[in-house]
Amino acid sequence: MDMAIVVNDLHKSYKDKAAVKGVSFSIARGEIFGIVGPNGAGKTTTLEILEGLRKRSAGEVSVLGFDPEKDGRSLRQRIGVQFQSTSIQERLKVGEALELFASFYERSGDRAALIDTLGLKPYMNTQFNKLSGGWKQRLTLALAALHNPDILFLDEPSTGLDPQARRDIWGLIQQFRGQGMTIVLTTHYMEEAERLCDRVAMFREGAIAALDTPKRLVSQFAAAKCLTFTSAEAELSVISALPSVERAHRDGDAVWIYAPDLQEISRHLFAVAHERHWTVEAFRFEVGSLDDLFVNLSQEGETA
Amino acid sequence: MNALLRLASVETKLFFREKQAVFWTFLFPVLMIWLFGAMFGNQKIEGFSYSDAYVPSWVAVQLLTTSLFTLGTTLTGYRETGVLRRFQATPLRPQVVLAAHIAYGLIVFIMSAIVVFVFGALVFHLNAPKHLTSTIAAMALSVCALFPFGLLLASLARNTRTAAAVSSLVLNLMMFLSGATFPLSIMPKFLQGVARALPLYYVIDLLRQTWNVSPIADHMTDVVVLAGLCVVSGVLAARFFRWSSEA
Repeated sequence: MDMAIVVNDLHKSYKDKAAVKGVSFSIARGEIFGIVGPNGAGKTTTLEILEGLRKRSAGEVSVLGFDPEKDGRSLRQRIGVQFQSTSIQERLKVGEALELFASFYERSGDRAALIDTLGLKPYMNTQFNKLSGGWKQRLTLALAALHNPDILFLDEPSTGLDPQARRDIWGLIQQFRGQGMTIVLTTHYMEEAERLCDRVAMFREGAIAALDTPKRLVSQFAAAKCLTFTSAEAELSVISALPSVERAHRDGDAVWIYAPDLQEISRHLFAVAHERHWTVEAFRFEVGSLDDLFVNLSQEGETA
Repeated sequence: MNALLRLASVETKLFFREKQAVFWTFLFPVLMIWLFGAMFGNQKIEGFSYSDAYVPSWVAVQLLTTSLFTLGTTLTGYRETGVLRRFQATPLRPQVVLAAHIAYGLIVFIMSAIVVFVFGALVFHLNAPKHLTSTIAAMALSVCALFPFGLLLASLARNTRTAAAVSSLVLNLMMFLSGATFPLSIMPKFLQGVARALPLYYVIDLLRQTWNVSPIADHMTDVVVLAGLCVVSGVLAARFFRWSSEA
């Protein structure tokens, strides 16, 4: 497969603190690759090393065949970057910003089409500081994509946006991929990773805790064999004694049961509930999500 | 090249969008000339008429203000708000950013110098420069010396507040000690010595002399000092240029 990015055993330390500890992955051309993980997991540092904005402490990095540290300027001709909290000159108008950034690159994309796609036309004469958060984000996305880069790096592209604006941004990112761009994004939102990304790397404490398609990650890790219900009377000691229960816990009236075969355990549960006159309400199987996986991995990290 | 022109023109446009800043940038020197004119109006200052001595020196102060505040503050602000960081993620070179800011500062300075000259001529009977080419050369050299100096201070300052504090200190020190406001001859020997350590002293001397007395070739001390300052602060400004405020 044609690789856009290859990272091998990447390390980065700041003074005495290690931020990235031996990360390896590769990203194929045309892929949407997500990097998720709690704050301080090393996501942004990794991204900035790929963009050539930070020096690595050790390891090999190749982005479009360039070493970002040595050929940063040539590399930056071919990548587009959107930062977490981008600021451009406050009073710069949208149209001026697009022209200014276009002048930085040798390559030029179809600017009119980009303005159209992003719906920026009515705002061409609006100053940056007069735009709402969603429109600022659209403009900075446009500034990242306007030279038709091979790779788009997006650092939390939808943080702080309302749900509609977030969905709009997702649509745009998919369109950019449709035009052949490779996209690398970081996010806090598991929903974003599940909906948008072909593959997701979960970062924890500077290392990759898991890396796979969102579906497989969920089925491997997050689809915990678990059911939940509420009941005032249910006794945990009785439930734990049921056959094949791995563990059970309760929080107020809510009870969780973990077992390899949920259907089997449900029959036992309802039998014992019937016997002991427990009321069982809001009964359902928990379907795992990346959110659970995220929380699980973060907690494992804390206890480890 | 295209990026340089585009950036310089954008910065100039942005400067004129800050209406208040524009107002004070152009009004301040005029006000000061008028104020000091009311104080010294009829005296001879070191042998020159008031306007012949002070209009060139206020142009020099204006040059320093432009380099410290118009240029320096903009650059530190951009570093603090992430504008420079965003530029860093493009193929743009730091030299292009610095050059664009110098070009924009030059435009602002030339405009304010014209305001000062016109005001001096209309209100205080300023004489035309005796050695026009020398005066223009002297101004060009002064720009080359003080702009990189301002950019260097901006690169060294940790944030906008530090930059503002350092700039104010530098400006006030130079304004009062380099003969721009009070004639050096009324100062004690010790302060006259201090004055000679300040770049603005040489700028003022060179501008006054070329305006009123003799061509630039007669003032090689000034020329050498300013050329030296230009090279040293230019190299250091490029060396210490930082895209972002983190260490």
